[in-house]
Amino acid sequence: MSRKDALLVMVHGSPRPTANEEMFRVVEVVKRRGVFPIIVVGFLECNAPSIPEAIDQCVAQGATRLLAVPYFLHTGTHVAADLPALLEQGRERHPDVEFRLGDYLGRSERLTDILEARIRDCQNR
Amino acid sequence: MDAVVLFSHGSLLCGAGLALEAHAARLRARGVAPIVEVGYLNYSEPPFTEAVERCVRQGADRIIVAPYFLVPGKFVRTDLPQAVAAVQAAYPEVAFAVAEAIGFDALLADALIASALDAAAPERWHDDLRRSTDHCRNRPECPLYDTPECPHTGTQRAA
Repeated sequence: MSRKDALLVMVHGSPRPTANEEMFRVVEVVKRRGVFPIIVVGFLECNAPSIPEAIDQCVAQGATRLLAVPYFLHTGTHVAADLPALLEQGRERHPDVEFRLGDYLGRSERLTDILEARIRDCQNR
Repeated sequence: MDAVVLFSHGSLLCGAGLALEAHAARLRARGVAPIVEVGYLNYSEPPFTEAVERCVRQGADRIIVAPYFLVPGKFVRTDLPQAVAAVQAAYPEVAFAVAEAIGFDALLADALIASALDAAAPERWHDDLRRSTDHCRNRPECPLYDTPECPHTGTQRAA
């Protein structure tokens, strides 16, 4: 059986639905790049689908490997403990699927690039 | 002289500031401003006002406050302007400017894709927790305090 990757974007969630708009725009850019045949967003709190539901959606779409990325800026307890625990539960429900967890977004140097751009815009205003 | 304060929420978890400290170090190395400090709204050290004070002591006459927030929500729209108004009153000779929050950026898509392609197998899923415990401040407010993961209380119990 050939491998089919799913990208699971793990997001905090917010009681304000507009708070997720920019994240969905970023996910649209990722979709257009065509790297992952399956892309699902799952929320830790407030919004649907939940992360367990999103994991199950990836598997229902035929994922053989699930690549999870925390859409978080910091290592709080969510990134360090809660998200790995939800993935462990997913592995137990889907023992035939390979689960992998990526760095949270805040660890990427691309975030430094963005901060630099925001600072330079402000300096030149 | 320009200074930058990276403004963040703060966390009870020891080591939660590692990513932001890394961004500050890179911004310093890139020469974005002669002074780059990190300041927190809650819990973490140093508080925002102390970060501003450090900039002023080093001779800053303009301070750019850059919110390290994905979304310009309540903290950026309400708490940050209040905090800036307070330091502006304390340092009337210093100019303050607030940069945009992170929001949308195509670079976030690059970061997402790179992270997924480099994602780790389950034996490395607790690396973030381990990295945090390397920075244990022995504070009872930390969610790890008095758990087996805490290097301070955990070691005490084992001894």
